[in-house]
Amino acid sequence: MNISMSSPSATLARIGPPLLAVLAALTVGLIVIVGMGAALDKALLAFWRGAFGNGYAISASLNRAVSLALVGIGFVIANRAALTNVGGEGQIAMGGIAATALCLFPPIAGLPLGLAFVVPLLGAALAGGAWGGIAGVLRTRSGTNEVIATLLLSFIATWLLYWCVQSEALLRQPMTSSATLPESLPIPEATHVPLLTGSYSSPVTLGLPITIALAAVAALVLARSLFGFRLSAVGLNPVGAARAGINVGGHIVSALFIAGAFGGLAGGLMLQGEQFSLKAGFSSGYGFDGLVVGLLARNSITGVLAGALLFGFMRSGGIAMEMGAGVPSALVSILQGLIVVLIAGVAYFQDRRSVR
Amino acid sequence: MSFELLAVFLASTIRLAIPLLFAATGELVSERAGVVNMSVEGMMLAGAFGGAVGAAMTGSPWLGLVFAVLTVLPIALLQSVLTNSLRANQIVTGIGINILVLGMTTLGYRALFGARSREVIPGFDAVPVPGLAQLPVLGPVFTQIWLVWLAFLVAAAVGWMLSRTGLGIVLRGIGDDPEAVAKSGAPVGALRHGAVLFTGVMSALGGAFLSIGDIHTFTEGMTNGAGYLAIVAVIFGNWSLWRTVLACLLFGAATALQFQLPALGIVVPNALLIMLPYLLAFLAVAGLVGRQTAPRALAQPFWK
Amino acid sequence: MATLSAMKEASVAPPPGRDQPVPRLTMSGVGKVFGAFTALANIDIAFHAGEVHCLLGENGAGKSTLCNIIYGLHSPSSGAMVCDGVSYAPANPKAALASGVAMVHQHFSLIPELSVLDNLLMGQRFGRLDRRGEAARIVTLAETYGLSLDPHALVADLSVGQRQRVEIVKCLMHNPKILILDEPTAVLLPDEITALLEICRRVADSGSAVVMVTHKLAEIEAIADRVTVLHRGIVAARSDRPAADMDGLVRAMIQRPDATGDDPAGLAQLSTRRHRPSGKAADEVAQLDGISLRDELGIARLQDVTLSIARGEIVGIAGVEGNGQTELGNMLAGLLHASDGRWFVEGQDLSKASPRQITEAGVGIVPEDRHRVGAVDRLSLADNIFLNRMPQYSRFGIIDRRRQVAAASTLAQQFDVRAAGMGVRFGSLSGGNQQKAVLARELTTPNLRFLLAAQPTRGLDVGAVKAVYSLIRDAADTGVGVLLISSELDELLAVADRIVVLYRGQIVGECTTDASNREQIGIWMSGKHT
Repeated sequence: MNISMSSPSATLARIGPPLLAVLAALTVGLIVIVGMGAALDKALLAFWRGAFGNGYAISASLNRAVSLALVGIGFVIANRAALTNVGGEGQIAMGGIAATALCLFPPIAGLPLGLAFVVPLLGAALAGGAWGGIAGVLRTRSGTNEVIATLLLSFIATWLLYWCVQSEALLRQPMTSSATLPESLPIPEATHVPLLTGSYSSPVTLGLPITIALAAVAALVLARSLFGFRLSAVGLNPVGAARAGINVGGHIVSALFIAGAFGGLAGGLMLQGEQFSLKAGFSSGYGFDGLVVGLLARNSITGVLAGALLFGFMRSGGIAMEMGAGVPSALVSILQGLIVVLIAGVAYFQDRRSVR
Repeated sequence: MSFELLAVFLASTIRLAIPLLFAATGELVSERAGVVNMSVEGMMLAGAFGGAVGAAMTGSPWLGLVFAVLTVLPIALLQSVLTNSLRANQIVTGIGINILVLGMTTLGYRALFGARSREVIPGFDAVPVPGLAQLPVLGPVFTQIWLVWLAFLVAAAVGWMLSRTGLGIVLRGIGDDPEAVAKSGAPVGALRHGAVLFTGVMSALGGAFLSIGDIHTFTEGMTNGAGYLAIVAVIFGNWSLWRTVLACLLFGAATALQFQLPALGIVVPNALLIMLPYLLAFLAVAGLVGRQTAPRALAQPFWK
Repeated sequence: MATLSAMKEASVAPPPGRDQPVPRLTMSGVGKVFGAFTALANIDIAFHAGEVHCLLGENGAGKSTLCNIIYGLHSPSSGAMVCDGVSYAPANPKAALASGVAMVHQHFSLIPELSVLDNLLMGQRFGRLDRRGEAARIVTLAETYGLSLDPHALVADLSVGQRQRVEIVKCLMHNPKILILDEPTAVLLPDEITALLEICRRVADSGSAVVMVTHKLAEIEAIADRVTVLHRGIVAARSDRPAADMDGLVRAMIQRPDATGDDPAGLAQLSTRRHRPSGKAADEVAQLDGISLRDELGIARLQDVTLSIARGEIVGIAGVEGNGQTELGNMLAGLLHASDGRWFVEGQDLSKASPRQITEAGVGIVPEDRHRVGAVDRLSLADNIFLNRMPQYSRFGIIDRRRQVAAASTLAQQFDVRAAGMGVRFGSLSGGNQQKAVLARELTTPNLRFLLAAQPTRGLDVGAVKAVYSLIRDAADTGVGVLLISSELDELLAVADRIVVLYRGQIVGECTTDASNREQIGIWMSGKHT
């Protein structure tokens, strides 16, 4: 926020507390593993294999990190205008619904030049953006708190998705027997997001470079652009911003639209890059985890990427640890929760210092 | 709809509404004092877990209830210290606590009970209310576990407290303008701490109702959004006690309908019924249904 | 000191059974120092039972500090107080209330979402309340003083006058020996003022001492038993026959700075201006035509204000604060729209214009509230200097920081803004440098034709004040029309070409800045002409 803030000590003050929180949480994790009577070496080995063990493990972790990073970047952008977007979960769901509907619409799959997967992704981003934008419009028009609005919209979208996969009139695959699962048809191959390696043994998708590019754009926009500057002004002092001729309402709506669009894109990538058919529980916590990543980053896009990688690899490692060493992956939730609580608590001391 | 079905519907409406009612009554007090606890979800889950563990270990659901409250109080204290002493973002800390509790209860349950799911544990049994339970048609409605009546009793007591006592005036004042209340000499910080701890106790009861009251078992993440629904009930209830109670019953009815409608051969998408509470609350905060008036200082830290 | 009458018998009938006025509270040698600033020095005052004692003085004379010391909000730096024969040194308002001192502040501390009754009972005790009984008791108490009030009404639904009555009742519930009212009539309508003064009289008649801060001579004439005039932290005059001493009181209140040998801003040695406005109608830059404005409570803040400002002319708006100046400033900034009437700059109707359109029309705004309206404290100095002109320093939406910082630093140099660098936070600068930065931005508004400067020197040190004056004057010399809103009469007399006086949102008088008009202006400002 402040252009003159990059001395080494200032940087340390910024990244020190989150780093300490992560270390503290990891220590607790180790203690819990030992306390549960699991062999520490075995557990750690399983964690390592699950997170970094082979191409597949790394790819899965990276794909997870991509979703988290996108939601986190959106969170940071909205937060620049002092808006808290807690609706990532619903924005992912709306993205997933839109992407599924577009992928399953036959003419789309026939589009040339990669448009077959690009168009559904754009549709997903638009749908997520609209979902976020609604909260922005309400905030501008009737002063509705965006936290409450995005949260409620999130639940609505989650159940809307559930409805879509339950009802044949919507997106459910045709019921041929009573065993037909409540999910959509698999999307056509042409609409899949291409794999970077071209091999399903390390299925990291084009989503990764897309995310890195978007992160770079977002960082540039926030630090250097007129739009980013205006978001800051609106967030820091809406009256002052209005006097300076800035369209405060418009920037609030745009900020939440963009945040939602990032969530929607995450949903599109999850569908077209990993899951390939829409199921209930599609967003499975990525929205909340992404919010946490965005929060921990304390307004830095680099921080979002770091946090997303951390959480992405932790999730993968946790799952492997459960299967390989019998340590429940719930441990990862504990660590995440601890990190959030610690950082949120420490923010008080940081902010107090910077205000004085 | 036949009378038998109606009675079953009413009974299950009440049963499904009670966990929400406990938690929402607690959350209402806290929100009237200006503190949002997103952690109600986590506190309910911890309550369900604590109740189940306590009841399983001691064999007594009563001790289970005590255990539930003791499990939740440290969590409520954590929420309270973070938001009221350290002035951390209320929404964020709440969500963090929810993730933390989900992990801890899952891990704890596995550690204590192994990976076996659906361990049956001692719980409270439904008791017919003498006289009323013998009523024709409505009789089944009055065969419930005693916690049901406690929930209504506490809600009534809270309603009375908020509108008829000095404490109620101060709490409502704190939610709108803590600075003005502090000028009158009332201990704003302490009262906010108290309000959050009260939410903790009520969420514990609501959670315990799920595990040792309703189905006598604990499953991972069994609250499954009930805590958020309780918050939504407070919002939809426009921060008024009796409207919050109605909202809880309405939400209970919507859930009960999911099981009743198919029996009646009525096809309504399940998802629509589950979504209904959120949709109604959303329409309410969007200003499409009446005017919502949240406490003015809601979710804002108080700086002395 | 202009008027110094010894304390004699009270001019009103003393309370039954007493011959001499009984002092309820005596202050002797009380002083208050804030850092290097002496707010009050060596004050001796006695407030007597059964009397309404008015404190008179301009803004910053020390009236509020005095009240806050009595009410326990500030502790005095020197001196002592005695209340009913007992040494009195309240640590906080709670202690003051316990000793029988109650105060009605300018800003009410009522909670609008709650009922009158709830507000009155707030924090008294935590247990069960007999609401009906309490309500009845409160209504009875209020009626004793001739106040009518509905205990079940929501405060939000009450008018300002009614809210003030609730505040007064809140004080009366403590059965106060001393009731302080800080500028109670500033927010009231005329008939409400009459009612308030009656209430004050009744409270005094019940044996309390009433201390009322006011600027308005008409009220003093109507109610005061004694008057103390404060000027720059000292007692400038006293009177126990205020109605007879009125002229002297006015003189004491608005005495010239050079009369006290104290001229901090060096106003006396201002250079003569090169350019003088011609006053011809063709030279008009800005016109306000019948502007009326109501606030969200529906209270009229401006009424039929008509004014025109010529090229190169500095028009001063004088008035006691709270008489519509803030609303006038916010309206010209585009943050409020007039309910009635229009205003123009160079013939362009800006009545419904947005802040951006107003800036584009060549209007510079130096707002009264620098931190809320004029700048974004947590952005850098460079960003604030170009807050409304960033597009000039961007290409394809990307800000060219190097060019922007270079331009900002040129402007900062030109306007003598002293800062460690262009990247420092605006909020960390001194008030003077902040104001110069705002002026740097607003005075370089492209095609500047009209400048609004509202309270531009508030809180600034002497050097900065001088700099601001010369910047404003230089702008006028280049043909810009200036509207200068200030509550400092000296400032207006020194800088403006012409002064109009705003009282209760209306222009009540207009004159040249000849020093001999000072008393007439003071009378207009105090609403005495009515």
